[in-house]
Amino acid sequence: MRHSRYSRQILFPEVGLAGQERLAGSTAVVVGLGALGSGVADLLARAGVGRIRLIDRDYVDESNLGRQTLYDEEDCRQMLPKAVAAARRLREVNSEVEYEPRVQDLNARNVEEAIRGADVVVDGSDNFETRYLLNETCVKQGIPWVYGACVGSVGMSFTVLPGVGPCFRCFVPQSPAPGELPTCDTAGILSPAASAVAALEVAQALRLLLAKADDAVTRLKYVDVWSGELLALALARDPYCPSCVRGEFPYLEGEAGSGTTVMCGRDMVQVVPRVPVSLSLVQVAEKLGRVGAVTCNEFLVRATLEEGVELIVFPDGRALVKGTTRPGVARALYARYLGM
Amino acid sequence: MIYLDNAATSFPKPESVYRSVDEAARWSGNPGRSGHALARRAEREIEATRVRVARFFNAPSPERVIFTLNATDALNMALKGFLQPGDHVVTSCLEHNSVSRPLAALAQRGVTFTKTGCDGEGKVDVEALAAAITPRTRLVVLTWASNVCGTVQPVPEVAEVCRRHRVKLLVDAAQAAGHVPIDVQATGVDMLACSGHKGLLGPPGTGLLLLGADVDVSPLREGGTGVASHLASQPDSYPQRLESGTPNTVGIAGLGAALDFLVQVGIERVFEHERQLIGALWEGLAAVPSVRDCGPSGPDGRVSLLSFNLEGWDPIEVATVLDQSFGICCRAGLHCAPWAHQALGTFPAGTVRFSVSYFNTLDDVEQAVQAVRALAAAGRR
Repeated sequence: MRHSRYSRQILFPEVGLAGQERLAGSTAVVVGLGALGSGVADLLARAGVGRIRLIDRDYVDESNLGRQTLYDEEDCRQMLPKAVAAARRLREVNSEVEYEPRVQDLNARNVEEAIRGADVVVDGSDNFETRYLLNETCVKQGIPWVYGACVGSVGMSFTVLPGVGPCFRCFVPQSPAPGELPTCDTAGILSPAASAVAALEVAQALRLLLAKADDAVTRLKYVDVWSGELLALALARDPYCPSCVRGEFPYLEGEAGSGTTVMCGRDMVQVVPRVPVSLSLVQVAEKLGRVGAVTCNEFLVRATLEEGVELIVFPDGRALVKGTTRPGVARALYARYLGM
Repeated sequence: MIYLDNAATSFPKPESVYRSVDEAARWSGNPGRSGHALARRAEREIEATRVRVARFFNAPSPERVIFTLNATDALNMALKGFLQPGDHVVTSCLEHNSVSRPLAALAQRGVTFTKTGCDGEGKVDVEALAAAITPRTRLVVLTWASNVCGTVQPVPEVAEVCRRHRVKLLVDAAQAAGHVPIDVQATGVDMLACSGHKGLLGPPGTGLLLLGADVDVSPLREGGTGVASHLASQPDSYPQRLESGTPNTVGIAGLGAALDFLVQVGIERVFEHERQLIGALWEGLAAVPSVRDCGPSGPDGRVSLLSFNLEGWDPIEVATVLDQSFGICCRAGLHCAPWAHQALGTFPAGTVRFSVSYFNTLDDVEQAVQAVRALAAAGRR
């Protein structure tokens, strides 16, 4: 380890030389490599965290370049998986770090293996399903994880210290229905909001890795970069929380969460919410109309989004994603445009 | 819910099948391995079903009735266990990929094949098929009825061609067994493969391969026959030669009960009922201007399935809307038979497929027609 590259960070008394060496011996897992995950991975790499596992199911797309700082036009032309493009870029940033890129759609079958060996898991995902899955896995395995999310000009973050503070399920007891909440891909995102949340997340992750975490990390940090408003709120642990108190893990057991079916012989994947919802097709059409060409009738909404990708949405929350045979990509698109 | 996906697997099954499955699950040992009561009971169940299958299809002998996992398994066993490098096969463009894929794999091992065409109604051209037979041809593989357009194939004529050319005939009866009367010996079929869970109304995990008296099929799996344990290699006698490992006693017991049901009702009556339903479906859909059906140009000449497309809709959209807005279960897409869609001009989107069973009613198909009409009206706006 070349200390000179970290000299300013080492000067910060909470880090010091011993702390820097501790970071070099640590493993962080970044789940989701969009705007948030790009910022998180970049800061972790520059801070000299020894091993960084980079997980994302999606591929670099032109609409990412506006705010996802790890990617460039060449990645987009080559249609690289985000995990691969991120690792390639980060090796140029800090070659001392060991990167483990994984093109992976996290689900009940692979999540435990995906975060094995992590000292901290940092959230760069864009959907509730992945967060519940991470929450259950981390609670079960006793691994701290840092939640982070942003949309528009606002963002928030807090750390789940399993068994100590509130978990994600204490904070959000139930997943909102698809289409219920705005997503960055329908309501927009201001790049500084993502940067602010990434910074908050990495600061907490560093405290965890340096074994200097206290109650402060479990507080909900809220930021609105437009108005400049900043808040830190103490969250209560739910004494009846199904996850961190009762030890029920429906997402990890594969009982909750959406399913996918690759349509036989077609460039198409069907995404089905596990629990049927009741969508207003008018609202869906209105929302998707902001980002693509939309046609609809009383049974479905068809939206042509990015080049070659068509999303057909049905009232019970089911969607056909045309233009891919990869379940991970289909779920990523579903999460981005409808929310999951 | 209205279930019109019986060509994928039949639903519901006769009550007696559920009872039989439940009982076998509770009271079965491993057949043929031991002399105790439960092993004997399981063996009795299996052997009794074997006899019933042979009678149902008029197969030459029960010992040449082989229980398989499903029709795909039976077809793989027949194709890969019968064909040798250097052999030539004649087949049709209507085959399921349970035939086309094994043939593609065998083509890597020195087997050649010729795929012959069909007419606009999805019927094979018998003359073209006969003309494709060469001195090296050892086998003709043909579906009894297409799983895409439902067209019943001229199996007796093809069998006659095969007999004349001294070529064996393997028939894929996945969509015919239990829907149309099949007499293996009278028709002159050398090998017949089918599933037990479709028209035969048995449980999933059951399939059949019926062998004629003078065909030999080498095993793809060896060991675990329960008999002749002292032998170093697989026994030559049927059915043990082709049945390795502990069999699906539970499924086979259910299949036995299902065959009893079909015999009791009568296959002619099943056929007549399904013909009526498909006829009503055809008439109803023919009256919708934006419906394009495929296969025979009239209501007859097909097994109990009907494929169509709705102008302006992707078939998968149609099936999804039928499912969630009308509670109608059906299948859309290529139905694992890309060749057939290429031949019928419905590639790559495929078709929507309705398939009925003895348990469907006229009301079911009328509701399905009404639903399609509603979709057609919505599509116009």
